[in-house]
Amino acid sequence: MKALAAAALVLFGLPALAQATQEAKPLEPGREALAIPYEKYTLPNGLEVILSVDRKLPIVSVNVWYHVGAYHEQPGRTGFAHLFEHMMFQGSRNVADDVHISMLEQLGATDLNGTTSFDRTNYFETVPTHHLETALWLESDRMGFLLDALTPEKLATQKEVVKNERRQGTEAAPYGLAQEEAWHALFPLPHPYHGSVIGSMKDLDAGTVDDVKDFFRQWYAPSNATLAVVGDFDVAKTKALIEKYFGSLPSHPKPAKPQVAPVKHTKPVVIRFEERVATLPLLSVQWLTPGYFENGDATADVLATVLGTGKASRLYRRLVLEKQLAQSVTVVQQSQGAQSVFSIDVTARPGVSTDALLKEVDAVLEDVRKNGITPEEIQRARTRIDTRMLAGLQSIGGFGGKADVLQSYNHFVGEPSYVAQDLARYESVTPEVVKQFTRDTLRPDARVILHAVPAPRKQAPAESKERH
Amino acid sequence: MRRLITALVSLSLAGCASQQKPAPTEPTPAPAPSTPAAPADAEAFRATAPQPGKPPELVLPAFQKATLDNGLTVLVSTRRELPLVYAGIVFAAGSAQDPVGKPGLADLTYRMLLEGAGTRDTVALDNALGDLGTSAMQDVSPDGSRLGVRVLTRNLDGALALLSDMALRPTFAPKAFERRKKQQLADLVRRLGSPNALGQLVFLSSTFGSTHPYGHSATGTPDSVQSLTLEDVQGFYKKQVGPAAAALVLTGDISLEDAVALARKHLGGWKAPAALPPAPPAPPASTRQVVYVVPKPGLDQTVMMLGRPAIAAGNPDEFALDLATTVFGGFFGSRLNMNLREDKGYSYGAGAGIDPRLGVGPLTAATSVRADVTGPALGETMKELNGLKSRPITEKELEAAREGLIRAFPGSFETVEGLGSSASVLFMKRQPLDEYSRTVEGLRTATAAEVQRAAEKYLDPSTLQIVLVGDPLLIQEQVSPLNLGKLMPVEPDTEPGKPRATR
Repeated sequence: MKALAAAALVLFGLPALAQATQEAKPLEPGREALAIPYEKYTLPNGLEVILSVDRKLPIVSVNVWYHVGAYHEQPGRTGFAHLFEHMMFQGSRNVADDVHISMLEQLGATDLNGTTSFDRTNYFETVPTHHLETALWLESDRMGFLLDALTPEKLATQKEVVKNERRQGTEAAPYGLAQEEAWHALFPLPHPYHGSVIGSMKDLDAGTVDDVKDFFRQWYAPSNATLAVVGDFDVAKTKALIEKYFGSLPSHPKPAKPQVAPVKHTKPVVIRFEERVATLPLLSVQWLTPGYFENGDATADVLATVLGTGKASRLYRRLVLEKQLAQSVTVVQQSQGAQSVFSIDVTARPGVSTDALLKEVDAVLEDVRKNGITPEEIQRARTRIDTRMLAGLQSIGGFGGKADVLQSYNHFVGEPSYVAQDLARYESVTPEVVKQFTRDTLRPDARVILHAVPAPRKQAPAESKERH
Repeated sequence: MRRLITALVSLSLAGCASQQKPAPTEPTPAPAPSTPAAPADAEAFRATAPQPGKPPELVLPAFQKATLDNGLTVLVSTRRELPLVYAGIVFAAGSAQDPVGKPGLADLTYRMLLEGAGTRDTVALDNALGDLGTSAMQDVSPDGSRLGVRVLTRNLDGALALLSDMALRPTFAPKAFERRKKQQLADLVRRLGSPNALGQLVFLSSTFGSTHPYGHSATGTPDSVQSLTLEDVQGFYKKQVGPAAAALVLTGDISLEDAVALARKHLGGWKAPAALPPAPPAPPASTRQVVYVVPKPGLDQTVMMLGRPAIAAGNPDEFALDLATTVFGGFFGSRLNMNLREDKGYSYGAGAGIDPRLGVGPLTAATSVRADVTGPALGETMKELNGLKSRPITEKELEAAREGLIRAFPGSFETVEGLGSSASVLFMKRQPLDEYSRTVEGLRTATAAEVQRAAEKYLDPSTLQIVLVGDPLLIQEQVSPLNLGKLMPVEPDTEPGKPRATR
């Protein structure tokens, strides 16, 4: 579910669909529970609607994806899609300022939030069944009438809130600024992934009320949104409610998707960063990899699991258990639309240099390039991925719950229940495929290497005796 | 594919959205025989919030219990939608049972269970879990510890074989111990780099006292962990871990009957003398004398924590205090968050909550604010605390908190891990199986007078300790004028006991 939750994609000529042409095959025995029954239709104003009934509890999730994210921002306005997301909670024509969240909380809503990634923005809440209409009313009012209630004061306050969010997550967070610098290096300008989703302080300060209005008019139309309702509800009544609240919202043709050339690195970028917050050195090695659902994405996911999930994984075993040079290892294929990022993060033990860690990481990768990985390792990774997917379907809403799963597949391939095809991608991963991927894509000369090392005075000693 | 294309082609509407009144769009299929009314009238229904329908029956999780001959508790909650089970062993001893001078011992002991068990070493054990598609989730808290996995139903038997090895037959290999201990120490170095972790450390010792069982963090301090030996770990395990002080928790695709059979098979032969530990004593009440300051020169944000020991689970004030704290800081729409975040823009969020434990647990209010508004933000927080008396909790605030807390219950029990966690907490706090019904009843029946009394008693600002982590000069300049107490610096590496001892 990591990829589903984190990712978002712009479907330039649907690059992934070479794989999708295989017919939706029935799920294997033991996997039937992964199939999600759903109904999808489109209102005349272009709003897509996905309905999926799940009666296990008397709750229902309302989840709206707008097919716009940080990818669609203008230069000098990084962080705008996310700042705008905050404005969507600040009231609209018929919903008073600051009421949206409070009202839902008071009804007993759970899993209530909004999130922004590079390629999409979503809003969601899970409510007791008898409050479904209220949730639809709230979502439709901000989809249709946000600008009626927009004021410069509200924008000014939310800029401050977001700047605090940025301080908390970036400036004052361990490795926050260091990782941001690595990200900038991965996607040089003018690639629209260059900026952080949260944006820069300078750009946040620069955003104007007119920017908010333009952004809303361009991207926040029914034609660029998908509404999912998942849980315990009456289908006919809900369709009528959706028609009532969303049917008359004006729209315009779905906006065109920007076309961007992929980034290719031909020589390594090395960043040495003096870390001010964290107390242990971090080595982060990152590559650009194929986008979500493209050929190689599933391979990268399996390899990430083999290298870094669990104590027996290759990097953890060597660096943490055997050589005791590292404190922790995290390996992730961050699947996203235009291009994904494969990263290996290793936190050093006190006194261990990040250069020493890099040597070890390279030795492990070289072994994979030469000898591949074992069928057992691939099988374990697949079982983990299966279990993870099934577990993701337990919640109807929230981060990565059933509504998000339907939305994500819909966003990427236009097919809300794509689980069987998604899993099929993993069936085609073999030791040979992994070996080839590591050779071709995880190249030593096509990566960003970050050494985030605390300034000497900040680096606490390993032995407590030396402290006062 | 087909569906995607349909979606793309269906965009026939012109009429760019703008601020003009939304005219109903032409091609709307008219389900109701509506006369073409003026646009404003047609949209008039939007002006008022919908009236909710009849509320559904409140669905609360059901727990069942059995006890094996050896004293092991078996807790089950059945949920059949998906072939998934959470399987966990919960131990009744937690960081509250760390001996004085040995904070971090429970944590290190439980983490050793994953470093080799039965015939397997660390790597073999992890591979065995990996074959079942899982990794172990582990968590050590003041009132106990949990070790669990989430597996497909078909892998449950195998998972229990591994869990029982970990609980009954840990190898405690000396080499693995030395490595694990070094790892714990380095992890402390890492954790103590976080302003929040530093704040938490000082907060616990300043509110409970350094020698109280709840007065230290579960991870311990560098000094204490450095001093721990393999004998300490084996001693803790021998004294605290056994069937009468543990429960097997199975939630999801499993019945009580099957659970008991599995418990007998894997844990029925478990013999060990450990008994349930006693509840920690109530800490002495105290009023604030000083404001603790953990210096982090140049930090962009200041971490603020305020709090006090409040109540144990089962205290008659529990539900009234839960409601009062929710109005003050428990919701996004609470007084504190609306002031600090939405009105002033000082913070990304501010909140408060209670943590009733087996013994008296803390009430905590916390936020992280832009450094240059540390003084104003703390001033506003005190103003909101004082306001609970001068502007008593209104009927509207109370009902909102009541309805919100009660109606959110079903949504909190969607996952097998969530159910497992709830069952584990029931065991650790020795609560009855119908605790959730009791909670709902308590929240429903707490009167406005009780809630107001709880607010004034437990959220009395003079009784709350204050810990600030941030730039010391800036704090000196902005917080001194508030006259909340003498500012007392606490060095990050100081033992938790020191600040209290010096005052």
